[in-house]
Amino acid sequence: MNFKLQLALFLRSFFLQTGWNYRKYQNIGLTFVMWPFLKKLYHNDPDALPSVLIRYLQNFNSHPVMASFCFGALARQEEAIAKTKTAKEMEQQIILWAEIKRGLSITTASIGDRLFWGTLKPLSLLAALFIWLVLGVNFFETQLPPNPSLGYVFSAGIVAFVVFNAIALFVKWKGISLSYYNEDHRCFGLTRFHWNETIYHAKRLGLLFTIGMILIGVYYFMQTALVQNVQFMTRAVLVLFFISISFITRRLRIPNMYLYLVAVAVFNIVCYL
Amino acid sequence: MTPAIFALCLLAAFLELDTTYAGQLTFSRGIIAAPIFSLITGDTMAGIQVGVFTELLFADVNPLGGILPPSAVVCSLVTLALHTLGIELYITFIFGVIAALLFAIIEKYRRKSRFRWLIYWEQKITQKPTTIYQAISMSLLTSFLINFLLLFLFIWLGSYLAVWISSHLPSQAQIACNFAYMAVPWIGLAALVPEFRLKTR
Repeated sequence: MNFKLQLALFLRSFFLQTGWNYRKYQNIGLTFVMWPFLKKLYHNDPDALPSVLIRYLQNFNSHPVMASFCFGALARQEEAIAKTKTAKEMEQQIILWAEIKRGLSITTASIGDRLFWGTLKPLSLLAALFIWLVLGVNFFETQLPPNPSLGYVFSAGIVAFVVFNAIALFVKWKGISLSYYNEDHRCFGLTRFHWNETIYHAKRLGLLFTIGMILIGVYYFMQTALVQNVQFMTRAVLVLFFISISFITRRLRIPNMYLYLVAVAVFNIVCYL
Repeated sequence: MTPAIFALCLLAAFLELDTTYAGQLTFSRGIIAAPIFSLITGDTMAGIQVGVFTELLFADVNPLGGILPPSAVVCSLVTLALHTLGIELYITFIFGVIAALLFAIIEKYRRKSRFRWLIYWEQKITQKPTTIYQAISMSLLTSFLINFLLLFLFIWLGSYLAVWISSHLPSQAQIACNFAYMAVPWIGLAALVPEFRLKTR
């Protein structure tokens, strides 16, 4: 696979989820991503393309970033299919192709969900919150301070954007070549990264950042206490109540947004009593 | 409906594509989308706060497998657009969260009902492989248009409802909504603790 082809797969991978559906998930997207490779591989045998495309239009579902490992591995296996001489050999290689697609999509989805959605996204959010607080943009206040300068408004968002995408785009780019050039006994290049260790350390860092953010929030909260004692106590009790409840709802897998809507209803009842 | 709101809806419909259908470059995150919207609405501090609150509130729902989290773009847009009518953020945010939930429900239905579309394009692609370009562009275009229409509808209906509610809302209810709004970052931060405590080895 040359640089031009890798670049084509990389750029097309941004449309992997176009046409996402509950029946075959990312099948249209996968076909779109792999099309330049398939077109080049079968340019001498265009009659083979319909049957090849039928295979790519079957179920496929993975993480949008980590799916790049599937592209490289599937391209490699497709070359093996194209080189077969007999029907039986081709059948065996197609079975192997299907196994790679199924197995690798599940593995990469699991890693991607934990690393990108479960760790990196909240971690970059916390980084952005810290930057805003350092710049003096206090979003904890319900009485909003005057508008900050545009540099302050976008600095934190840009940092979160760059942190997330630098890692995501690096993994996406490297995933294609690693899985293409690595043999299957090396898990298609997946073992080149220490996923579990990375996730573990990132989560520890995230926990530290979260505790730090809560402490900063409490500090801002305490500052208002010096001015309004009765209101402060009421606010503190109510907020603490909902923080405690959020731990319970988390265990019950009830999303936060429902807790917020319940909070609106409960506060209304309390205010009317 | 002012040209600014119209422009906001167009921009939001475009940014919403980033959530799933194109890019996934995180332009659709609350902390990025809301400050961008606030450039049009003119209240950048409100944009930061709404972006942060939206992200924190939705931080515990991730798009794992077929799970559809509520849209941060929709929540930020509806909250900020209604805020331009002079309604307080603590009221408009409730509309934003409800709109995001409704949008997720409609999106789920759209994904389920894409079956006929899928059969049509699969047949076309196998017959003539280059039609994959049409399938992708048509999918993006229809998603963009549906997003735009839904967002326009949410703001149009929401503006009438929010103006009526805010003018009839007693002071106790205003205090209650303010309290609930104030609790949002705390609920969000509390949810991040177990998010980072998950064992990975």
